[in-house]
Amino acid sequence: MKSVRKDRLLAAVAMGVALVAPAFVGPYGHYVLAIILIYGLVALSLNIVTGVGGQISIGHAGFWAIGAYTCAILVTKVGLPFLLCVALGGAVAAVFGLIVALPALRVQGHYLAIATLGLALVVQQVLYEWTSLTGGRGGMFVPRPQILGYEFLDDGPYYYVILAITVFFTWVTVNYRKSLTGLGLGALRMSAIAAQCSGVGRTYHIITAFVLSAFMTGVSGALYGHLIGQLSTDSFTLTVSLSFLTMVVVGGLNSVAGALLGGVFLAYAPELMRELKDAQMIVYGGTLVLFMHFLPGGLASIPERILDLARARR
Amino acid sequence: MLLALLISGLALGSIYALLGLSLVLVNKATDVVNFAQGEMAMFGAFIALSMMVSMKLPLMLVFVLAFPIGMLMGALIERIMIRPIRNAPHLNLLIVTIGLWFAFNSLAGLIWGYDPYRFPSLLPSEPVDVFGTRVFPASLGVIGIAIVIMAGLYYFFEHTREGTAMRAASMNPRSARLMGIKVTRVAMLSWALSSGLGTVSAMLIAPITFLDQQMMVPVVLKAFAGAILGGFSSLPGAVLGGVILGLSETLLGAYVSNAFKEAFAFLLIIAVLMIKPTGVLGRTARKKV
Repeated sequence: MKSVRKDRLLAAVAMGVALVAPAFVGPYGHYVLAIILIYGLVALSLNIVTGVGGQISIGHAGFWAIGAYTCAILVTKVGLPFLLCVALGGAVAAVFGLIVALPALRVQGHYLAIATLGLALVVQQVLYEWTSLTGGRGGMFVPRPQILGYEFLDDGPYYYVILAITVFFTWVTVNYRKSLTGLGLGALRMSAIAAQCSGVGRTYHIITAFVLSAFMTGVSGALYGHLIGQLSTDSFTLTVSLSFLTMVVVGGLNSVAGALLGGVFLAYAPELMRELKDAQMIVYGGTLVLFMHFLPGGLASIPERILDLARARR
Repeated sequence: MLLALLISGLALGSIYALLGLSLVLVNKATDVVNFAQGEMAMFGAFIALSMMVSMKLPLMLVFVLAFPIGMLMGALIERIMIRPIRNAPHLNLLIVTIGLWFAFNSLAGLIWGYDPYRFPSLLPSEPVDVFGTRVFPASLGVIGIAIVIMAGLYYFFEHTREGTAMRAASMNPRSARLMGIKVTRVAMLSWALSSGLGTVSAMLIAPITFLDQQMMVPVVLKAFAGAILGGFSSLPGAVLGGVILGLSETLLGAYVSNAFKEAFAFLLIIAVLMIKPTGVLGRTARKKV
């Protein structure tokens, strides 16, 4: 029970910080804060698929792109309200999540990783070729978000919209992990055979996990498009998928706090590594290798590790 | 027209087959899907090109040297990156290979730049006239080299002590160890072999696609597709799958549509996994509990 109280305290502190943070930074700071939450949403979605489910996805940039483009196209060409488009962006991404997850059910092993890799490449190519809808190489313009006639011209107020959505999905993720479905998915990761013998169905669990994850990533992509105001295929490359994976590994694969921490990492990493330019990928790749070798639980596991060390010394 | 297409499809297919072989080899021996395979191969091809340019070595010699260089690279990666965490969950190993993929990719860009290089072809790439069809000697060369390598591999696995040990270790590591086979050594050897194979296949495809840091990303996806088509656990299956993919891709590009040729491999992966997940020659893995 003690750890539950500690978690609640941590969540309350994080919430407080998130609420007051915009007051202390300028417009660029608002933008960075919003980006942290948007990445955090993706990290939460990977937390479900990879952290709980033990399935790798190298294609989350694909779902991100589908969410972003769906939402932007619906807002600009159909004229639907912003929040509805965000939800629809998530829904379309979820449909693609279903399509990718279906074949993975037939086989054990890591075919899902290969299938998602293929999806990411195909999505990028389609965005490139389908010029009439997506603007192709030139990209497309996305208007500022609007809710009930109020236009969010600054990133500051928009940040609170994203915060509300992120809090909602954090709540969903935390509850998902505690639900029978989430526990079942975790059991499947640890031993597929033992879990299946205990009546945990593989099909249902992997499909729900993947659809939920794709939905959250799609929503994040939709929010992202409206934040930066312009979409181009360059924002959704394989590199982006890799940086997503790096983010959850650095934060901690199997912890909700770690996922959000990963969002902070990914928002600040490009700033810290601006000098490195093209060498950034070495850092991301190397980070993955080093964390897997020396800190597989990510940053979120550091307190636990220190406690373990202290206990061992005693 | 058709004959020329068939030959170039077969050449493309044998490159996919070689790369597919290297993926299956590592997967069989160490149960890891090596996502870095394509990039390691590209890196090896760059090393070969540098040797050719800076040391003025003839292309033929470089081809012969490429295999051992690739092997060394694979062995080092296995020893340093994979072996220390071989008992960790599967997921961790997979993440390490994904990390290596991007590290190699970016490192190559850093060392050799981002512009494509022209890579010389062993045989002339101008077409010659054979019975009224235009045939590329380079394509025939690729097919020939692939056949020689595959025959060598077949001999190695079926008729040498080391190869038999590798087959035994992949069937059942525990009993293989009881029989005195060093399973860790087998793992290292398969990484080495597959990396050597990869390097050669990258050097074969480089004259067609040009050599640059991004060249292997689509190629490796197709090698995956070919290997999955063949069942991902069978070496002949990987060869067959790669050849089928190369042929159908070339014919599709010529007769149907060139723009979405790339998407074909992905659709094939999905279709095969939906309809017949064990592939053409794969066997269903049975697990004792």
